[in-house]
Amino acid sequence: MRGSFFALLKKDFRLMVSSKFFLLAIGSLILYSCYINLVYVKVDQEIFPVYLYDPEQVQENISADVISVYSPEELQNACEDGYSIGIDASKGTPRIIIASCGISRLDEMRHSYALSKLSSGNSRKAKIIGPNDKEMKNRREITAEFLFFELAAVGFLGLASMLFKEKQMGVIRVHAVLSVQKGAFILSKLILILFADLLFAALLTLCNLGVSAGVEVLPKVLVQAGILSMIMAMAGFFFSITLPDFKQFSLLYLVLAVFITTPVFLAGQTGVEMSWIKFHPMYHLFAAMKNAYFQAPVKNGFYYAGCLMSIFLLFLLARYGLDREMKREG
Amino acid sequence: MNWIGLKFQLKTIRRDKLCILTFLLPIIVGIAINLLGDMNLTSTAEPSFGIVQNDLTKETISWLQETGSVTVYDSTDALDIAIIDPSTQLLGVLSLGNEIRVLRSGDELQMYAVIADTLPLLYAVRNHAGKYEQTLLPPKNSNDILKPLLIVITMITAMFMGCTFNAMNILSEKEDGIVFINEILPMTGTQYVKQKIAVGFLGGVLSTVITAFVCMRLSVTQILPVLLFIILSSFIASLIGLFIGRSANGLMAGIMYIKIIMILFIAPPILFYLAAPAGGILHTLSYAFPSSATFYGLMGILNGNGALGTEIIVLIAHCFLWFLLYIMTSKRIQS
Repeated sequence: MRGSFFALLKKDFRLMVSSKFFLLAIGSLILYSCYINLVYVKVDQEIFPVYLYDPEQVQENISADVISVYSPEELQNACEDGYSIGIDASKGTPRIIIASCGISRLDEMRHSYALSKLSSGNSRKAKIIGPNDKEMKNRREITAEFLFFELAAVGFLGLASMLFKEKQMGVIRVHAVLSVQKGAFILSKLILILFADLLFAALLTLCNLGVSAGVEVLPKVLVQAGILSMIMAMAGFFFSITLPDFKQFSLLYLVLAVFITTPVFLAGQTGVEMSWIKFHPMYHLFAAMKNAYFQAPVKNGFYYAGCLMSIFLLFLLARYGLDREMKREG
Repeated sequence: MNWIGLKFQLKTIRRDKLCILTFLLPIIVGIAINLLGDMNLTSTAEPSFGIVQNDLTKETISWLQETGSVTVYDSTDALDIAIIDPSTQLLGVLSLGNEIRVLRSGDELQMYAVIADTLPLLYAVRNHAGKYEQTLLPPKNSNDILKPLLIVITMITAMFMGCTFNAMNILSEKEDGIVFINEILPMTGTQYVKQKIAVGFLGGVLSTVITAFVCMRLSVTQILPVLLFIILSSFIASLIGLFIGRSANGLMAGIMYIKIIMILFIAPPILFYLAAPAGGILHTLSYAFPSSATFYGLMGILNGNGALGTEIIVLIAHCFLWFLLYIMTSKRIQS
């Protein structure tokens, strides 16, 4: 029995290699890591630059980050972008020039900020209470997001591509007459996908968080990655065994990607309030993944019970699907 | 041109749900962007402050509300959690005698970090505004850059649909074995290429024109350049689709190629547009991507810019080069 299971594992592994599954995973790993390290880490929004035109040097106590310009035209040009602020101190009372950015509160903020640049007082620095600096936060955030999307796609698509190939080759028909258990047929694929996903999660985390921070979050991340990977792979198994061809399957995937993962992304990334989002099952998986990266307190037992339950249900569904397909194939 | 062949091509596409969906997707997104225009997105750009109940005076709260949105929390602990939450840029404001003190999490964008650090000073000088005069210029161009950007991205995606059409079409022919039948049919290679390009091209153009119609408000003089951009880039996209269809040997690999090329098609123009100033070397180099020219051109049209000569010439050059490359490589494969 054990021998036949290992034979199954070996066969599925060869199938994964031949479908360039690992090559694609390594490709995405490199692509994501490059994007994170070269682009995303540097994403920032600078404070409004303040330009000062002061030919007579009447203003004292000017803070060091104010940029001096030497003609009214230069000042006008500098503050036309709707972001910079100009101060014209050439005629007695200083005049603050702001091109509206269309958001009145932000205009107001820019105006007050310009005032502060003209006053001599010092400000009490804000107290920092969070554990991360901006770069580390960016790294944790984007790595969590990429991992979530990659796992949601890879388990689902990878298993499907394997299964469709097998369907085409008539493997399922052969298995209907072999003495291999149906559970083992599903499990061998699942185990391979799970290990590939865990490896991917570990590499992505270590590459982008650095070794020390990466190792710190890894245990929690791997638990969440495992849950997500199992759920998506099982769902992939069920849909690919029920749908007739890969094309229809990729249509389903497109719908899934647009309508299921996008709201989750919006809610997680922008903090936009959506009250219905808590009824979205994927949102909880995403939140758990993000919490794992930020080492936030673990979710309650309901979450894990729900995950186990859905994994079990999906397994039953996958078995049922396989059963039906075998009957259909005769 | 063999019209009957084309008719058959269109017929197979009509049965293909994936093609129909990829055709409709940009149009749906276009409609969504249009609806988004009425929605208020500005709240995400304003500074947001968190305060604790019964802590600040009414006057201070209304001062905060002039410059940002204010959320009230029950306790300092709840406020701390909200500040640390990585998906927000919330700043905590607490009273300190007659002044205020500010809490931040330390992971904010630089703008919010500076605002947090200067807020107590802003509070102290809040009544000095009368000492200065103020000029508020009206917004120079349409006040949000996000909407034109979204529109152009959607249009580029729509143009890219031609590529998806072709690649999927050829790949499914490969899977069904129609490729071999094509080889013995009385049809030359050029005829085949023409038909395939025509299918992707027509689909791409149609999808993009509808998207443009849905989300762009064009004057009569702008219609011609927009149409020219659409036609040229759809041609290139459908040509790329042929490349993918020829080089991928399975649907899965095809989808992966499409994914990669789609990223290459859409991401660089946005990056270059935002990061490289026009006239720089980087900007010139970015024309190596065919979608860059389209992107800059359409952005120019949306922002009311008239000079589009370079973009159109670059696109025409791309069309020629890619077509030549295709012909040359396909001859080598045949021989």
